[in-house]
Amino acid sequence: MGAPDSHISVDDLRIGWGTRVLMEHVSFRVERGSTFAILGGSGSGKSTLLRYLIGLEKPQAGRIDIAGVGAPHLYEGVPPFGVLFQSGALFSSMTLIENLELPLTTWTPIRGAAARELAQAKLELVGLGPFAQHRPGEISGGMKKRAGIARALMLEPDLLFFDEPSAGLDPIMAAELDQLIITLSRDLGITIVIVTHELPSIFLVADSCIVLDKTAKGIVAAGDPRRLRDESDVPFVRGFFTRSAAVVAPHQGV
Amino acid sequence: MVVARDVSAFDSIPARSLIRVMGYRSIGLGSIPAPRAMNRHKSGDDLVTIRVERQGDRASVAPAGLFDLPHAASVAQAIDGAEPAIKGCLAVEVQLSELRRIDGSGAALLARLLDRVAADPRCTTNVVRNGNPEAARLIALYRGQRTIEAPAPPRPGRLARLGEAGAQLPGLATGAFNFVGSVAVALLRAALFPRSVDWRSLPRLIQEVGADALPVTSAANLLVGLIVGFLGVSQLGRFGAVIYVPELVVVAQFRELGPLVTCIVVAGRSGAGLASELATMKVSEEIDALRSMGFDPVSWLVLPRCLALVLTVPLLTWIGDMVALAGGLAATTFLSGMTSRAYVLETLDSITAAHLLTGLLKCPFLALAIGLVACRQGLAAHGGAAAVGARTTTAVVLSIFAVIVVSAVFTFFFALLGI
Repeated sequence: MGAPDSHISVDDLRIGWGTRVLMEHVSFRVERGSTFAILGGSGSGKSTLLRYLIGLEKPQAGRIDIAGVGAPHLYEGVPPFGVLFQSGALFSSMTLIENLELPLTTWTPIRGAAARELAQAKLELVGLGPFAQHRPGEISGGMKKRAGIARALMLEPDLLFFDEPSAGLDPIMAAELDQLIITLSRDLGITIVIVTHELPSIFLVADSCIVLDKTAKGIVAAGDPRRLRDESDVPFVRGFFTRSAAVVAPHQGV
Repeated sequence: MVVARDVSAFDSIPARSLIRVMGYRSIGLGSIPAPRAMNRHKSGDDLVTIRVERQGDRASVAPAGLFDLPHAASVAQAIDGAEPAIKGCLAVEVQLSELRRIDGSGAALLARLLDRVAADPRCTTNVVRNGNPEAARLIALYRGQRTIEAPAPPRPGRLARLGEAGAQLPGLATGAFNFVGSVAVALLRAALFPRSVDWRSLPRLIQEVGADALPVTSAANLLVGLIVGFLGVSQLGRFGAVIYVPELVVVAQFRELGPLVTCIVVAGRSGAGLASELATMKVSEEIDALRSMGFDPVSWLVLPRCLALVLTVPLLTWIGDMVALAGGLAATTFLSGMTSRAYVLETLDSITAAHLLTGLLKCPFLALAIGLVACRQGLAAHGGAAAVGARTTTAVVLSIFAVIVVSAVFTFFFALLGI
């Protein structure tokens, strides 16, 4: 069990395939209601770690605890979180509103007009009301992400995972998304775990973070991103936060 | 005390979906005169109620209980019951102090009720904030984000769709001819510039559409040989003409059934594989990446696939013919008194160059039809995973149909030529 105020506890996690270890000795806590960022360079295993946190993969060793009830078991009831995947991951054979209705009609007794009304309300919440009857192929990438967020919110979760939410978005759209994350976390108490390497977003939204490094096969720094930027004595971490290739490169063996 | 749709603080917030307000907060209703009509609209359970107190053209609405996702169906039911009592009012006041819990779902349903009531421009709606400010904020958020119009994309009627489909036919035919033309051009370009084709993929493709398909095409032809043999013995045997069964098997299999059965199996197997591969490449922008690097996808992708089919299908057909002869032999010797030696001798007498070549000659054309249809469908994919499935299905159906049509055309011309 994690600490009483921890929403997520990860202890001594080891991730890999067969004899290949991607990362090990990964331990961290995510406080309830906070925004937590998983950072790292390309190929450091950020998105892979996210897959383990949401239960898509089983770790080789270690423990993941969400909300004090252990590791998430998919297919065994209402998922205790919502997830926004990189591309939005909307079902292309369905309209947007059907995408949103799906979790509702699967996990609740709500059907028909009530389900449609709730889905429409969520779409309007993210500014996609006029596109309810569109299919994912008919809308832009940023709209797909917003629709993905609306779908993730359908079951009113108190924990949200965002995988690279700003990737591929224009600065205005990315700023709107950052504002949404701040709203969900700081005003409404939703715990947010965000995988990103967008520095402006990190400094704006994240209360705490971990930094992954593929060379170290694990966490090389943890804490407030602003403090890490200013005070970390790990060259890779300083380089990451200051976008300094000269500092990053020697550590990565380039 | 009374706040009318105070959404200004939230206009800049793109989404606010979840809030849980625990505890019972009560406020007095002293400002509301004694009601003339009072209704309490319950849901199926007692956990969700909406009390409506109406006095003339004014109404006070007091939702009470659990307005959250687990009770959303009850909330919707209670709202349906309360709405007729509110309709027509010119002033609606909402008291939230009796709410025990509210989240985004409950707030959304209440917000949409108020939106419907406020659709009458004479009507004003006030949400009392100080009884439960967090609930009021949440409802305001859902009302504040509401779009004025939510037009659906135009969905034409049946007749219009029929007309659209008819109008698309010339375009589809033009597209198909364009594609065949671009393949012909790519073929010429390949002859002049061999590096425009991905020759490295050819061995893999031959393996996939040829060698890997051999077991299933052979099995299908074996069964067809058995069927023709059984039919021949049962029908010709009635006239004492079992001796002609080997010739029947040879003629039917070599001229028609061998190419047809082999190509239908290849269309179902390899046609689907090629179409889904190219469709996946298309929707994942790999085709665009190829084009951006200066590769013509028709030269780079379509030619090797068509070539692999053209090279392997005649071979598969020939092997299928041989296997079918064995099937015919097994059926005939099993059902009649004919010996294996007699069957083989009769078969050898029946095999002519015309029988063999008329079948094998059309195989490359049938294979080309499969390749062109599958690749065309794959490259025409647009959208996501659903498009891949749809194009693959279309590719299989069209390529089987094309195989039958091309085979029929060849048979017709061979008959005209007396071959």
